[in-house]
Amino acid sequence: MSARPGAGGALRKGWKKVFLGLALVGVLGLFLFPVFWLTLTALRPESEVFYVHRGSHLTLANFAKAWRAPKIQESFLNSAILAGLATFFSLQVTVMSGYMLSRFKGATNKIWFTAIYLFRTVPYITWVMPLYLLTQSLGLYDTYLGLLLPHVAVHVCFFSWVMKGFFDGVEPELEQAAYLDGCSHWGAFLRIILPQARPGIMALGILCWLFTWNEFLFALILTGSRTPLLTVTMAQFVHELGVEWHLMSATAVMAMIPALVVTLFAQRYVVSGLRL
Amino acid sequence: MTEVHDGTLKRGGPPTGEAAASLFRQRRYFALTLIAPAALILLLFQVVPILMGVDASLRRFSLTDEEHPFIGLRNYQRILSDAQFLWVALPNTFFFMLASVAGGVVLGLAIAMLLKQPFPGRILVRTLIVFPLMVAPVVASIMIAWIFNDQFGVANAIVTTLGFPPVAWLVKPWLSLCIVVLTDVWLQTPFYVIIILAGLETLPREPFEAARVDGANAWQIFRNVTLPLLRPVLLVAIVIRSIDAFRVFDTVWTITKGEPGRQTEVFSIYAYKEAFVFLNLDRGAAASLIGAVIIMCVGIVLYWGLRRVTEVSR
Repeated sequence: MSARPGAGGALRKGWKKVFLGLALVGVLGLFLFPVFWLTLTALRPESEVFYVHRGSHLTLANFAKAWRAPKIQESFLNSAILAGLATFFSLQVTVMSGYMLSRFKGATNKIWFTAIYLFRTVPYITWVMPLYLLTQSLGLYDTYLGLLLPHVAVHVCFFSWVMKGFFDGVEPELEQAAYLDGCSHWGAFLRIILPQARPGIMALGILCWLFTWNEFLFALILTGSRTPLLTVTMAQFVHELGVEWHLMSATAVMAMIPALVVTLFAQRYVVSGLRL
Repeated sequence: MTEVHDGTLKRGGPPTGEAAASLFRQRRYFALTLIAPAALILLLFQVVPILMGVDASLRRFSLTDEEHPFIGLRNYQRILSDAQFLWVALPNTFFFMLASVAGGVVLGLAIAMLLKQPFPGRILVRTLIVFPLMVAPVVASIMIAWIFNDQFGVANAIVTTLGFPPVAWLVKPWLSLCIVVLTDVWLQTPFYVIIILAGLETLPREPFEAARVDGANAWQIFRNVTLPLLRPVLLVAIVIRSIDAFRVFDTVWTITKGEPGRQTEVFSIYAYKEAFVFLNLDRGAAASLIGAVIIMCVGIVLYWGLRRVTEVSR
């Protein structure tokens, strides 16, 4: 080995490092800048929000004011409760359906799988518009129940599919052994197989909560003044005279807190649970 | 009955005759019980609404009118001859779908390759990069709309600092649509990054070593080894995301509401406005069903394509 290629290699490696570092900073900057800017806007006093260059004052007043704005606290509470309930029921329903998809073969399985794939492709707008009529005729419009069941329905297709993946990762021999030991079908499923799939199910639960918390279209069409949800209420800072950006930013930052918590503390758990 | 059943479950040969039939029935019953709740919810809150939508689309059905006379396919005729639907909403939808998926895949690949390298703080960066995926589309839209605000946005502050005249970002339809795409790419790129990073970890090492021995450079390795091996993973991601992108609503509604001049409407916005802004629920339903049929066809084609490609690569 002569010295020259080695030196050239080292030089090239140095450049590569610089390039990589710059690329990383650029990527992170681009991805985090919008969040940074929104947070900064939320922290600025109202009078300075409209001056991009000036203003070194930071204040929490916007948060306090936004928190006291009409319907905001109610919306936070409603969104949190709805997301919790939707998560609970979605998991209940799809864990069973996913187990079926993973363990059974034959016509029923094929039909169910095809149905799930097809119904997942149906755009939300196609069924949420008639749902407006349906919930109204059932007297469920703008109530918890009228919001909860559609929000469970949203998740049935995709989650069944994901759950199937979890159960595919559990060996069928476990059930065979359980049956031989005298377990019933339900016993084997609930006591032997389900605990094996728990990490994935918990991860999916966290995501389900966030999805429902973040959901907008169903909330827009199926809620009125009685059961306001956060994503829709946020728009109340848009008036005919303009947008109260300082208050809207503060609300948006508060709405992002669960996402931040999950990203920082539960993300590795979520990612590894979903086997991504 | 139970005795026969218990007898067959003793260790040893497979169950036969009557007992086997009974076991089979039990298992079938169990399978049906497992999917019953999911199927019921799907039926009541997705199938029934879709059928109601079909019914509404065949009538003159407005929110303000009590009578709903049957008018056949006239609503479909109206929609399919509406230039706004055919030449604005549909092309915008497909543009959005292609641009958002293409942008996400390219950026996702680039960032995944970057994050694959060892460097200090890698775990922290990998953690932070996932954040957009957890943020509500509405919140992301508010952020981006504020950045590109004509008068007070930071984008124009940068543009004017660099000596250019300020840009009316959300006034031009083209630019508005691109900003919506940008928002979606911001939201979705982490999804591709996670999937691609996970896919990279499962790839066999031999092809890479062979390529290195053959003297291939980094780009050649990426182009001829990494990309083909990643193809199944990428295709799954593309199918999932294409179907989601077709029904985009939140970001477009929050950023542009389809304005200016209805030029940035996508199909979901068109149907929503028809139903809840112009109060023609019948035409809104017809438009949303036409969209559903289109995306179902796209979905079926994508699914078949996906199966064929993944089978070939196996």
